[in-house]
Amino acid sequence: MRIVIAEDAALFRAGLVRLLEDEGHQVCAEVGDGEALLAAVASQRPDVVVADIRMPPTFTDEGLRAALELRLTHPGTAVLVLSQYIETRYAAQLLHGSPAGVGYLLKDRVADVAEFTDAVSRVAAGGTALDREVVSQLLAASRHAGDLDPLTPRERDVLALMAEGRSNAGVAAALVLTLGTVEKHVASIFGKLGLPASETDNRRVLAVLRYLGS
Amino acid sequence: MTGPGAGAAAAVRAPFTGRARREMLFCVLGLPLSLPLPVVSFAVTIWLAQVAGPPWTAAGNPSWLALLAAAAVVVLTAVLMVATGLTRALGAATRQAAGKLLGEQVAAPPPPRTRLGDGPGWRAMAYLMLKFPAGLAQWYVVGVFWVAGIVNLTYPFWWLSFRNHSPGVRLSPVPVITPFDWSGAGGHFQVTTFPGTFAAFGAGAAMLLAAPWVTRGVVAADRWLIRGLLGPGRTAQRLHDLEQTRALAVDDAAARLRRLERDLHDGAQIRLATLAMNLGMARKKLGDQGGVPDLAAARELVGAAHQNAKDALVELRELARGIHPPVLDNGLADALASLAATSAIPAELAVSVPVRPTPAIETIAYFCAAELLANAAKHSEANTIKIFITERSGLLALQITDDGLGGADPARGSGLSGLAQRVAVVDGRLDIASPPGGPTRIIVELPLRAGHR
Repeated sequence: MRIVIAEDAALFRAGLVRLLEDEGHQVCAEVGDGEALLAAVASQRPDVVVADIRMPPTFTDEGLRAALELRLTHPGTAVLVLSQYIETRYAAQLLHGSPAGVGYLLKDRVADVAEFTDAVSRVAAGGTALDREVVSQLLAASRHAGDLDPLTPRERDVLALMAEGRSNAGVAAALVLTLGTVEKHVASIFGKLGLPASETDNRRVLAVLRYLGS
Repeated sequence: MTGPGAGAAAAVRAPFTGRARREMLFCVLGLPLSLPLPVVSFAVTIWLAQVAGPPWTAAGNPSWLALLAAAAVVVLTAVLMVATGLTRALGAATRQAAGKLLGEQVAAPPPPRTRLGDGPGWRAMAYLMLKFPAGLAQWYVVGVFWVAGIVNLTYPFWWLSFRNHSPGVRLSPVPVITPFDWSGAGGHFQVTTFPGTFAAFGAGAAMLLAAPWVTRGVVAADRWLIRGLLGPGRTAQRLHDLEQTRALAVDDAAARLRRLERDLHDGAQIRLATLAMNLGMARKKLGDQGGVPDLAAARELVGAAHQNAKDALVELRELARGIHPPVLDNGLADALASLAATSAIPAELAVSVPVRPTPAIETIAYFCAAELLANAAKHSEANTIKIFITERSGLLALQITDDGLGGADPARGSGLSGLAQRVAVVDGRLDIASPPGGPTRIIVELPLRAGHR
């Protein structure tokens, strides 16, 4: 995959480049602010952008604003946003419309190399990667929290992993279950919450997030 | 241009300067503002004495009853003047005149809360009552020194045209008004001959030369009254100062927290995230079990992670020390000694503080010293710095002197003005003497305990 990295801390950026190149990806540009990111995407046409939210010059949400603009101007480019804090409002802005090809993760997640590279691949393939912090905040703040009571603890785990954007196989791997068991849990969850069964992972994430966020 | 010549030139020019003109104008304009109360009391008393008849008038003079009544009218007038806001308006007019003509900028008092209990209104009343004699003195100065001075100068010019009488005719002498002798026709200084007019001319010149200084004197007394009675008052001023320093303290605290977050975010947090990433990669290179797929890369990554961890420790230690240096718990002397030892420019330290200040004051003094040393290292190009810290009658004085370039200006760098603000929060003072070319001497004065003035 061809990747553009936007991160102002040189140390962390160098680590990211090395990690992604070790995984066989090609980092075609590394930049340090939002403007440069937009320019790099326009010229390099990468598959994925990995961007820090807080960058110069204002050190607030440059990366997020650049990501939102890329979602409009380059819908084919997947965007994975990294941050040292999780803000549910940022997640809502990113996911607005469609969760296809979007990710929002804590920087800490980079430490689990396999999980991180899985998230990059998932986003690049048009999927979703939401940090479990975001999901747990959504679950805690959801007005449907009461409706989740009938779910078994295992079903809640599966629901959370679905909301993070994982496929059935991903959920199975994370919980060390067989694919068949996961499928049964998913069907049961959709039945209990009254959600229509959906074919693709994307539609499923959308359904779950809409349900939690509404 | 200095020396006696320049001094004499300045003295001759003094009556013609703008300042002298403005001060004279202030003297002329001031008196009418103070007139309402004296005019009312005078008019009432005269009316009672001359017109009202018994029982008010006793043989052409006001009776005791009349005097009492007049006093009551004066008090009533004063009360009315305060209640209607007239004294405030007259005070405001005086403040404005003082600001325009004397450059005496006095802040307006806060608006009144009650009509009669209006402290600033009554203080303005007191000013107006004192202004009456002060204004009379000012008119006296203008009339005698300026007007009579100029009139005296004219004697030689008109003498010959008006006094060219035939011999044998004896005319009455012409009086000359001076500060020592202003009774006019009955005075001792009189001119009878043409040469005598030059004495009047000399007296006039001397009076005009003295005029600006005498004016300055009477104006100075008025300035003192204006500052004391027409300003916001000590309590209101103090309240204003406290509100301002409180706002600064709140802003400063918020800014410090923001800076702290920024330092953590850009420093230790990034290093620890990179450390975790390096360890994650190393773990992958080491494999899950059995043989190691890539030992060399794993070693290198662990090495990098090790370095990240050490760097993060250094940053956290610096950050923690920036929040509160632990050595400060042992007292200012130890803390300043370690500060002096690590100063980029060799620093000499002398401490004489027998009474230990409160921790808050020690912290402020320490960070002032740290900031001033850092400033000196950055801008002064000094060879040595001297740090003195002494305690004198309840005040802690920190003096930092360097032999560098000087030119430190709080208006240019935000560092010094920030220090001044932080010091002002505890009623301290920052005094900067830094002429271009050096040396720079900065004195920070702090109370031994915050909140005790």
